[in-house]
Amino acid sequence: MVVRERLAGEKLAVELCGIALETPLIPASGTLSKEALGEVGSVYGAILPKTTTPRARAGNPPPRIAETPAGMVNSIGLQNPGVEKFLEGLDAFDLGVPIFVSVAGDTVDEFVALCGRLAGDPRIAAVELNLSCPNVEHGGLTFCAGPASAREVIEACRDALSSKPLFAKLTNEGVVANAIAAEEAGADALTVINTIPALTIDASAQTILVRGGLSGPAIKPVALRAVYDVSRAVNIPVIASGGVSTGTDVAEFMLAGATAVQVGTASFVREPEEILSEFSEYLDRMGTTASELTGAL
Amino acid sequence: MKFHGVKIEDREWIGGYTLIRYRWDGAIEPGQFAMARVAGYPVTFDPFLARPFSFYDHDGETASLLFEVRGRGTALLDDAPDRIEVSSPLGRGFRINGANGPVALLGGGIGVAPLKVLSRRLDALSVPHDVFLGFADARYAAVAGEFPGAKVATVDGSAGVQGTVLDAAPDLTRYTAVYACGPNPMLAAVKRAAGEDAFCQLSVEERMGCGNGSCNGCVVPVRDGGYVRSCIEGPVFDAEALAW
Ligand SMILES: Cc1cc2nc3c(=O)[nH]c(=O)nc-3n(C[C@H](O)[C@H](O)[C@H](O)COP(=O)(O)OP(=O)(O)OC[C@H]3O[C@@H](n4cnc5c(N)ncnc54)[C@H](O)[C@@H]3O)c2cc1C
Ligand SMILES: Cc1cc2nc3c(=O)[nH]c(=O)nc-3n(C[C@H](O)[C@H](O)[C@H](O)COP(=O)(O)O)c2cc1C
Ligand code: FES
Repeated sequence: MVVRERLAGEKLAVELCGIALETPLIPASGTLSKEALGEVGSVYGAILPKTTTPRARAGNPPPRIAETPAGMVNSIGLQNPGVEKFLEGLDAFDLGVPIFVSVAGDTVDEFVALCGRLAGDPRIAAVELNLSCPNVEHGGLTFCAGPASAREVIEACRDALSSKPLFAKLTNEGVVANAIAAEEAGADALTVINTIPALTIDASAQTILVRGGLSGPAIKPVALRAVYDVSRAVNIPVIASGGVSTGTDVAEFMLAGATAVQVGTASFVREPEEILSEFSEYLDRMGTTASELTGAL
Repeated sequence: MKFHGVKIEDREWIGGYTLIRYRWDGAIEPGQFAMARVAGYPVTFDPFLARPFSFYDHDGETASLLFEVRGRGTALLDDAPDRIEVSSPLGRGFRINGANGPVALLGGGIGVAPLKVLSRRLDALSVPHDVFLGFADARYAAVAGEFPGAKVATVDGSAGVQGTVLDAAPDLTRYTAVYACGPNPMLAAVKRAAGEDAFCQLSVEERMGCGNGSCNGCVVPVRDGGYVRSCIEGPVFDAEALAW
């Protein structure tokens, strides 16, 4: 709690869909385990665990990750214990800040059933629909990667969630069209972007190493462009995801239009606390606050 | 993940391997590992991820890593000036069972790394143990000098017996416990040689992203179905729990 006491207050606080966040940082889904929660203290304004699905998923066989310059390619395959086990263990994610839950289904009905299951749980402040994981195969992207199916899923989930805020997480491909469709369908905020489809090859073994999604600083300029373009196309908050590794990155995403910023892959190589401190120093240097920064550019 | 900048106290080249010793006064369990990398500002972008290494030795004031230069990350560590960055000890190490021994320790190539701390722990508990080490050739086998009494095999026969580590080891079934580290095919062979009922523990080697359980990248298949993370549930597993 030391960090929060030191850095707290007006300066870092933001509001996202009526939810007060003490800092604009959120862990990106799938990049913060229960075991690592102890390390993050109170750096995050909200907690967002790995995507959960209706039934347990074993995930893909290894190798699942390959390092690339300034990033990595992963093909985890949404390994998770299924929504019921997930909810049994959810209290472990209670750090005294709002909890957002990421869900994914293979069909519209599965998305709706998941949202119905979460709608009445008072521990959950908002739900993020993972409409964009490139590692679950349905001929490439998930079935809901295009505007028409994204619209159908979001409309149905909006009803199922009753009053809980719904975030739609969008992939980079076709992001502006999907963002407009998602807003029309009733999304309360958009998370932009997920990993970018990528491939690594082991030349000496002449085999494919990992076919999955690229993340890390390598994708930051792509994500920044997506956040900037989407922020100008919709009137709902945008949550940035993609390549954030420094406090300056956080500032850049907020200037581009983000209300909150997710930290994913960088948390494997840095302490998120350092990123928050750098961001806080940036705000001091510029004589501004986090909420003033959003879309200031 | 938190990394600590540490000062390299000394560096030695033992045969084909590099040993780096740095200041570390925390506790270390045999079989635990650290994520290590060269320092950058604020991190290096290429290589981007830290690399996992078993603890080779520690004396309460310093800890050491023993590694083979394979690619970019290890080459940079080999050349690192006087500081590197390391995580705290990670993972679940070897479980020492209560039996009095004798116990067998098997290392394949750089799989020798965690056996030194384990051997020290067994000495402290007065558990008699035999060490068997397999290498590609005599150059790598030079590290066996750090394990007095170890029996050695080399693939090309240039040191010890010719063959794999199992050719240096007699009947493994006569040991009350078998501990092994090396490439996964070697571990599978040790598991078979130790027999169904053996108390056999294997330290596996998987690619790691985070080292703290967050990425689900380092998994191994388990007998009960599905995958578990080698950085949290491992890297040391009961042989019988693994699906290979
Ligand atoms: C628990 C554990 C303990 C280990 N202990 C030791 C040790 O004590 N000494 C030692 O020399 N090596 C050890 N290794 C293997 C060591 O991590 C790799 O040799 C090292 O990561 C290679 O990095 P590189 O940059 O030189 O190779 P590159 O080929 O450039 O690495 C590219 C990527 O592949 C990964 N990778 C490559 N080879 C391996 C491998 N064999 N195992 C896991 N990941 C790999 C790297 O981490 C990196 O992400 C251990 C591995 C694990 C999982
Ligand atoms: C190992 C790993 C696992 C991930 N798992 C999920 C997941 O389960 N659900 C999801 O929506 N995104 C998942 N992602 C994507 C991240 O949440 C994030 O959107 C992406 O990695 C880009 O941000 P980054 O560059 O900060 O990591 C995963 C990313 C990584 C690297
Ligand atoms: S290395 Fe990330 S979960 Fe094990």
